[in-house]
Amino acid sequence: MLWPSTSDINDFKALPDSVKSELEGDTIQIPNVAAYFSDNYRDEVISFYLQDYQSKYNFPFPPLKLNHPPEYSWIAIKKHTDTTYLEELIYPLRDSFYINGFEPFYSDSTPKFWGATQFEAGDMLWETKTTLRFYPSTIIIRFVVWFMVILSMGMIYILGKRIIFEK
Amino acid sequence: MKFNKYLELILFWLVAFLFVFIPLYPKFPLLNVQGTFVAIRIEDIVIALTVGLWGIYIILSNQVRILLKDKLIQALLLFFVVGAFSVFSATFLTHSVSWHLSLLHFFRRVEFMLLLPIAATVIKTKRQLIIILILLSITVAAVNLYGLGQQYLDWPVISTTNSEFSKGLILRLTPGARVNSTFAGHYDLAVFLAATVVILTPLFFVVKKRFKIPIFVLGSLSFLMLIMTAARVSFVAAFIGIISSVILIKKRKLLALIFVVIIIALIYPSQLRDRLISTITVNLFQQGQRYEGKTQDQKIRGKLNIPTLAIKTSSTSASTSTFASPSGDLATDIAPGEPVDTTQLGVYRSFQIRLQIEWPRAINAFLKNPFLGTGYSSLGIATDNDFLRSLGEAGLLGTLGFILVLIETVKRIWRIYKSEDKFIKYFSAGILSMILAFVINGLFIDVFEASKVASLFWMILGLNLAVEKFKE
Repeated sequence: MLWPSTSDINDFKALPDSVKSELEGDTIQIPNVAAYFSDNYRDEVISFYLQDYQSKYNFPFPPLKLNHPPEYSWIAIKKHTDTTYLEELIYPLRDSFYINGFEPFYSDSTPKFWGATQFEAGDMLWETKTTLRFYPSTIIIRFVVWFMVILSMGMIYILGKRIIFEK
Repeated sequence: MKFNKYLELILFWLVAFLFVFIPLYPKFPLLNVQGTFVAIRIEDIVIALTVGLWGIYIILSNQVRILLKDKLIQALLLFFVVGAFSVFSATFLTHSVSWHLSLLHFFRRVEFMLLLPIAATVIKTKRQLIIILILLSITVAAVNLYGLGQQYLDWPVISTTNSEFSKGLILRLTPGARVNSTFAGHYDLAVFLAATVVILTPLFFVVKKRFKIPIFVLGSLSFLMLIMTAARVSFVAAFIGIISSVILIKKRKLLALIFVVIIIALIYPSQLRDRLISTITVNLFQQGQRYEGKTQDQKIRGKLNIPTLAIKTSSTSASTSTFASPSGDLATDIAPGEPVDTTQLGVYRSFQIRLQIEWPRAINAFLKNPFLGTGYSSLGIATDNDFLRSLGEAGLLGTLGFILVLIETVKRIWRIYKSEDKFIKYFSAGILSMILAFVINGLFIDVFEASKVASLFWMILGLNLAVEKFKE
């Protein structure tokens, strides 16, 4: 609960061998969003940010990895986000870090769907776009929520004992 | 004192009115809420009015302290408090809800569940209980007749099964569509009818002779209508509920007869029979002819199954990459790998939506915040398993709070069931079995969130609990 955490998307590393997107919607329009064009595919991207996320907190165990339906990116990242996968890294009751990947091609460069094109950015062509969104939490909110959890546990224990065991 | 008596009487008739109005009034929206197609309806206003009056009555009759000492009220309050905590956590920590939608869904639950203490405190005598049961029976008859009218006389259908329908459109049943009567969804109607047949079964054996035939007709009609809804889970829930009620009233000899009736119902050609068979052949044994896709693009998209991806279109040809089938033999939106037979397709999708989308979404939500979940409304309109939904939306603590309410309610009804009064005993046996039927339904349908059936569920429980305080 009191363990310090980061509060800005820019605290996370940029993807290796990538160009940061300057497109509207990928910079300042939506809070804590960043996007990178690269040739990194899902496995590389997820393991890269898994390590980076864990290193920010210095917990001895990795964050929980949740796989969401791609279309959920319209809620978790922003509306009209192009997507082929969406994963979330999270330490429960703390911050959420969403990784949305848009991969128009398989890693052997076969198109995945009609209209698949490469991305042009920084005078180069790229095969994937990774969009990140970070939902930070403040220490006050974490404290309040933990207080609520402990209070609820206590009330459920006391009332539960009475309801189950008293005649 | 006199004012309290008037208030008591007004509240009793308001509750009686709700028992009739909630099941019968179609789901016409009154006020729309941004971001959802769940609307505020007239019944919400009437319930709010009832809650307000009940609050005044409780204060004026000095019952606040007594109520606060009541374990069931404490359990309800605890559930509401944990629910409010969950809304807070979802809004400010997990950022998984829009606060106004989460509050709307939270207050919906409060609204439904408050009907339990209201019914339990304002129904004071056995005579009042019987008045309500008679009104309920007439209401059930009206629901059934209206359903028959929809099926055979083209009477209007109001549905909330999608965002467009839920605006209050007047529809008609199309061939093969399932009847929903005044319940706006065939599943909701099926849950209501399952509860009806389960309660009527023991009542049939305890009422005076002159009431036996009307109850038998009403029960048979409800059972027939239940078959017409083709809702498999509710049918199974009704079956188990009837068996439970027969065991509770110690008429075990009837079990063989019940099995025979159920087997006949399953053999007789109906959508229900076809869907039950398809459940076994398609969902369990993966049989049935599958659609393979007509174009390369369909096959490619079928593999990805991401609705937000671009769809191939052409300005020179009518053929596109969508899964539309111009022949009319196939469902227009069929995807490669799905059964071609329409009944099998419906059954397949019904299960796959739960297995691949709704249930994993609820499990993810639970993992994200195991204590308080990701908040009411975070899982959308449906999870089709009320217990997973509860774990996902309100976490382990919210679910435990809910379970405590159910345990305390069941314990009390069990005590009433031990009563010497045969009518009360048989009525309680029916209610205990109804709870079981609801729990079974809850494994595949969100029964505790479906407004009409959830409201009626808590009111009927209140009706039974009112017996504890009867004056005669």
